[in-house]
Amino acid sequence: MTKGWQLTLVLILLGLFALFYQGLWGDPRHIPTVLIGTDAPMVEGPDVETGDVISLEQFKGKVVLLNFWASWCYECKVEHESVLQLHQLFKDDPNFVMLGVNYQDKLPDAQQYLKEYGTTFPHMRDLHGQIAIDYGVYGVPETFVIDQEGKIRYKYVGPVTGHMYTTITQNIIAPLLKGQPINTKS
Amino acid sequence: MRMSSRFTLILLLILTSPWPLLAEVQDETALDIQVREIAKTLRCTVCQTENIWESGAPLAQQMRGVVRERLKLGHSPEDIKEYFLSRYGDYIMMEPPKHGVNWFIWVGPFILLLGGGLLLYKEVNGWVRGTPSTPAAPPPPLDEQARQRLERELES
Repeated sequence: MTKGWQLTLVLILLGLFALFYQGLWGDPRHIPTVLIGTDAPMVEGPDVETGDVISLEQFKGKVVLLNFWASWCYECKVEHESVLQLHQLFKDDPNFVMLGVNYQDKLPDAQQYLKEYGTTFPHMRDLHGQIAIDYGVYGVPETFVIDQEGKIRYKYVGPVTGHMYTTITQNIIAPLLKGQPINTKS
Repeated sequence: MRMSSRFTLILLLILTSPWPLLAEVQDETALDIQVREIAKTLRCTVCQTENIWESGAPLAQQMRGVVRERLKLGHSPEDIKEYFLSRYGDYIMMEPPKHGVNWFIWVGPFILLLGGGLLLYKEVNGWVRGTPSTPAAPPPPLDEQARQRLERELES
């Protein structure tokens, strides 16, 4: 076998190894989204607690955090405390809005969940899964941050806890509220 | 014809008629067929290895609903696929669209097969060429001492 062939073989094997390595150790939650930088779909749905229609349109010009959740979702319970803490941190800023989107759930279960775990911000129901599909949701919990111009700037699949809480609060929401560039690296 | 014979004949006719098959064909409208054809091309994002037609997941069911609604509104199958692509990216398609880096998925296996075949051909060719065409020279005759030792060992 000539040196050229040997080198080609080694390069192919290295390439395959790199692919396997990425598959084995890459974050399965990280599915690149095509929605970053695109206009956030202007969805609407009834409020889980009051039944009044909530529309995203009414929050145009504000930084909006959309959090998809369900009462049957274990990871949603894990992140619930952090999500409430996040709202507590920014709720006094008039340019910040936080909305929950209740996904694939039964109304009594969702209401019971909010009663049990508490809430400080409104939640809309995704009645036919259309909101989730419009936002390219894979499962719950998923969190989106929409800027003042109505563009999706950040998406995270999984519970917003630990370093993700820090990333979303310090690197995404705080800079957006100050009109500064965001840092999407977690 | 006796009453029992008539009953048996009617029962036989009922049992052997292909009615369920007919009912199945009549149940599926042109819209259903279109929904099925489109749904088979879209991946269920919850189950990942199934398309949304075969998946029983609620999200897949809702996606089928979206396909149906859009078809009713007059959207073309291409428009509907484009909508799902705009929400989920190439991942939503059961067959990756043929553009950019996706080409590697389509042509990669053939390139690897061709490369492997060429490599195998070169190696086998090298072995064949390296094999001497004339038989090797006969070994030198045994000396007397070695011949005697061999005979002793064979006898023992």
